[in-house]
Amino acid sequence: MAFLFRNKQKSHPELVKSTKELTVRLSEDAKPNPKVEEELARDLQQMKIRLQGTPGTALLSLTAPAHPPIVLQAAKAPGADGSAEAEVNTESVFQLLSYIIQEDLLYLLANNIHKLPFESRKDAQVIFSTAFRYKPAGASDPQVLHHVIQYRPEIIIALCRGYDRRESAMPCGGVLREALKYDSIAALLLYDEPTSDGKTRDLASVNPDIPSSGQGVFWRFFDWIDKGAFEVSADAFNTFRDILTKHKALVAAYLQTNFDMFFSKYNNVLIQSESYVTKRQSIKLLGEILLDRANYSVMTQYVDSGEHLKIIMKLLRDDRRMINYEGFHVFKVFVANPNKSIAVQRILISNREKLLRFLPGFLDDRTEDEQFIDEKSFLIRQIEQLPPAPVPPQAAS
Amino acid sequence: MAEGYQVLEELGSGSFGKVYKAIEKATGETVAIKLIDLEESTDELADIQAEINLLSTCKSPWVTEYKTSFVKGVKLWIVMEFLGGGSALDLMKPGPFSEAHIAIVCRELLLGLDYLHSTGKIHRDIKAANVLLTDAGKVKLADFGVAAQLTNLKSQRMTFVGTPYWMAPEVIQEAGYDFKADIWSLGITAMELALGQPPLAGSHPMKILFTIPKNPAPRLEGDQWSKDFKDFVAQCLIKDPDRRASAKELLRHRFIQRAGKVEAMRELVERKQMFDAQEETTSHPKYYEETMVDLSPRTEEDEWTFDTVKPATMTPARHTAKRRKMARIPSSDANSCASMMQHLDLNAGPLGNVTDSPLPERRRASSRKSSAGTAIRVSSGSTPTARRISNVPKQPLGLDLTFGNSPSTVRHFKRVSSGERRAALTSNPPPPSNSFHPNPQARTFRPSPPNSAHPLDMEVNNENQPPAPVYPPMPVTKDALYGRRAYGKVLDSVFQEAYADCASPHQREALGRVHQAWAHLDQIDPQGEFLLLKAMMDRLQGDSKLASALGVTVSPAPTPKQHNTKTSETSLSGTTIHGTSTTRIRSNTTNAASSLSKQSADYSATPTQTPFQTPIETPTGTTSASPIKGPKLVLAQNNPHLKSHRRRQSAFVGGEKAFGLDAYGGLDEKKLPGHVEKGMEQQGLLADILYGQWMQGLKSRWPLS
Repeated sequence: MAFLFRNKQKSHPELVKSTKELTVRLSEDAKPNPKVEEELARDLQQMKIRLQGTPGTALLSLTAPAHPPIVLQAAKAPGADGSAEAEVNTESVFQLLSYIIQEDLLYLLANNIHKLPFESRKDAQVIFSTAFRYKPAGASDPQVLHHVIQYRPEIIIALCRGYDRRESAMPCGGVLREALKYDSIAALLLYDEPTSDGKTRDLASVNPDIPSSGQGVFWRFFDWIDKGAFEVSADAFNTFRDILTKHKALVAAYLQTNFDMFFSKYNNVLIQSESYVTKRQSIKLLGEILLDRANYSVMTQYVDSGEHLKIIMKLLRDDRRMINYEGFHVFKVFVANPNKSIAVQRILISNREKLLRFLPGFLDDRTEDEQFIDEKSFLIRQIEQLPPAPVPPQAAS
Repeated sequence: MAEGYQVLEELGSGSFGKVYKAIEKATGETVAIKLIDLEESTDELADIQAEINLLSTCKSPWVTEYKTSFVKGVKLWIVMEFLGGGSALDLMKPGPFSEAHIAIVCRELLLGLDYLHSTGKIHRDIKAANVLLTDAGKVKLADFGVAAQLTNLKSQRMTFVGTPYWMAPEVIQEAGYDFKADIWSLGITAMELALGQPPLAGSHPMKILFTIPKNPAPRLEGDQWSKDFKDFVAQCLIKDPDRRASAKELLRHRFIQRAGKVEAMRELVERKQMFDAQEETTSHPKYYEETMVDLSPRTEEDEWTFDTVKPATMTPARHTAKRRKMARIPSSDANSCASMMQHLDLNAGPLGNVTDSPLPERRRASSRKSSAGTAIRVSSGSTPTARRISNVPKQPLGLDLTFGNSPSTVRHFKRVSSGERRAALTSNPPPPSNSFHPNPQARTFRPSPPNSAHPLDMEVNNENQPPAPVYPPMPVTKDALYGRRAYGKVLDSVFQEAYADCASPHQREALGRVHQAWAHLDQIDPQGEFLLLKAMMDRLQGDSKLASALGVTVSPAPTPKQHNTKTSETSLSGTTIHGTSTTRIRSNTTNAASSLSKQSADYSATPTQTPFQTPIETPTGTTSASPIKGPKLVLAQNNPHLKSHRRRQSAFVGGEKAFGLDAYGGLDEKKLPGHVEKGMEQQGLLADILYGQWMQGLKSRWPLS
């Protein structure tokens, strides 16, 4: 069969149409249908190749650019600006993408990615990534992504919901993190709210001063991180981190508006998670968020709270060393703060003796970590110099 | 989720975690479980995650299957397919593969690589140790510890990873590489399977980083190989990656086309099993043990006082309680229950000598088969990741490092050491001071009897471990210590280098024998070794011609080349004394060795240095015996700091580069990257970078104290 098909190539519209039909059938069938799966897998693979070229052709045309001998951890794409796309016909890619948009295939795929066969999920991921990356020659705007943000934000939300299932978590996560280069995607996720008609809110209608209801897709991340298999949870955390760290101004404003809800969830679900990985990663991320300049006002608000300090001080006594270590980097912010709140001062003063006994031996095998040693002795000095009784902070009004 | 598995014996361990054989209770299927202690792991969680992501997006009959992973306590469990046949490297123990078998392995590997490459992945560490077989002989690619996922088909990688002997030139040169790098490694692997070791296996792993890009590509030679095979290897080993064939193209090669059925590989699995059976061994598998946590209750003192809450309620009882539960490995098997009970006893030995239990008998078969039988790499080999440097038991540099299995890479992976086993078996384990009996990192599960005289065992098993016979203890005398020192600090590395510089195999062999003999002497009689050295030096000095040719003048001072202009005897010795005293002031623990290492450091800083520096080392050894200079240096040698200096040398292993020089002492590694040969000048920059990367890894590998 496949033999006969080889010569008879489907045209772009035919390919998109047939992919769409098959995906609809797949989503409707309760039982897995091997025949539909097989045909769909072929279509998706074909679509991927048309968008991206095949490894063979790509390699043949590959000329080794002169790279400086430096070690990069990430893959290096020579010509991410589109020039490397030379061997696939840009005109043809544009046409294919237009049909894909026209048929709303991306939305359908995003919702059914977990039902696709194993290899097709990866093909779908490539199709999404290539589509989202696509820029017409000379344009700085990713055209397809632009369209999605403006007219079909549901696709982005549907991709997030990929974390509901192990099968779809990683392809969806990969696409999301790539799209999160753009702040509008982060905004879309942060300000998502459930609506009566099931449609995703238009970004233009968002008022950043109104606190979130806590029902939007962003808040689901706490569940996805805390529950589920290691891969899902770890991947969801990576996306969560990207949302919170990639676009600083946006996030700073968001965290200020939603301070209480965010930190109560963060503390209860993540910092005090049963899962070691979640706990450790989230303490580290907390430190990163607080120490970011852009989040200065969030940080001051955070370190004013005695409750937060208690949670962090308990981490110092955890019986897992890396938890202690990550906790230390949040604890230091409380102590180093020159304008400590009364609540924070009270806790530190009533624990002064204990802290002074505890800190010198705290993680004392980290002998090669000079920054840590310096910071530790700085904290000890600060605690020694605490006043005997809490004094109102100067900045307090 | 952990409850779903019954964990059996350990298959191997490494810095990255331990691997256990286990049974999935729901299905009864045997699996391999890699346990990574996330607290201990120096890796970022992200690295581990990357490996899992990569594995979980592979599904192919030619790639070991990833099943699932989950976190329990501080441990990450990665569940993989269990492969009972062992690695291709294990299967070579009874002898290299025949050409017919190699053809099958290559075809299967090409199918696996074609799959990986078509999905945008590069394996980056293809070698026999990473090729695993099922009991039925099916061939699968394993160990994705350093594999890479390209996000884009045209991407190139810049990261410097792999195992030197198998590395493609473009990877070493860090000029950006792609899928073709795996094809090169495949070619090297084919040669490894045919010859028992990769090409250049005799060279120092740092040296070959320069040899591979510089030399013409290796070729398979000899009448015993068919033309097709030779051509296949030649196609894989084309230095220009653009001209090198792809996996798809190679699948159409005649050598591959005429390869037999994969079932034939069973013969090799069986051959290995027979081979193991001949070694009359009993194995004492290590069983999985839950980590036990200190049960002592926390005192109130241990808690913070927060005025609003009572200390009692503050106890972070949740997670601690959870870990204290001492969850037993769920076990339906009475036997393993019994063995677990043994482990409950805190005083029980690590392996709980359960000789009288029926267990070892039952396990024997399985542990024999399981030598590399995990989907997760347990191979003795080790994988190379520049990023992974961990504090694994240090491994002295031995004659046997030739294969690149152990020294070549930076991420250490060791088998359950048969040494450890032996220690558990014998009531009187060899004294730990015996650091010259190398290699704790035995590579088999089969504890070979200490004095095994099996010729094959001696010959084949020494890939990672030279035979470590037990000699009667020798009295520790000062001379003996000097002897050891001379060998460990100077002679051994001189041999290594000379060996690496040898052009012809005959020369090599001859030199190798001398080295071996000398190592043997050092092993048995370091005192005699020292006296021999001393006698040699005395005689050499007696002959003025020889002495001056060697740079050992009758006048006491060693004659470093920089000072050659100063011919007068007084000024010469003056210089030397001056040099020595400055060093003393500088490092405070100076002795002959450290001043020497300073000198050699100075030397290697000179770019025009000739490759052969070894003579410079020798004089220092001599100086102590030389009449005039003698007193001073002997004093230095007697320096009470000597010991602490040595201790510090070992302590600084893995430290920063500056210490590395000292720590290296006589091992003149520096000259390898430092030495410039014709046509290699442009490599200077590269050399610096490579050198930095390798020093890091090597320092943790080859401490010389």
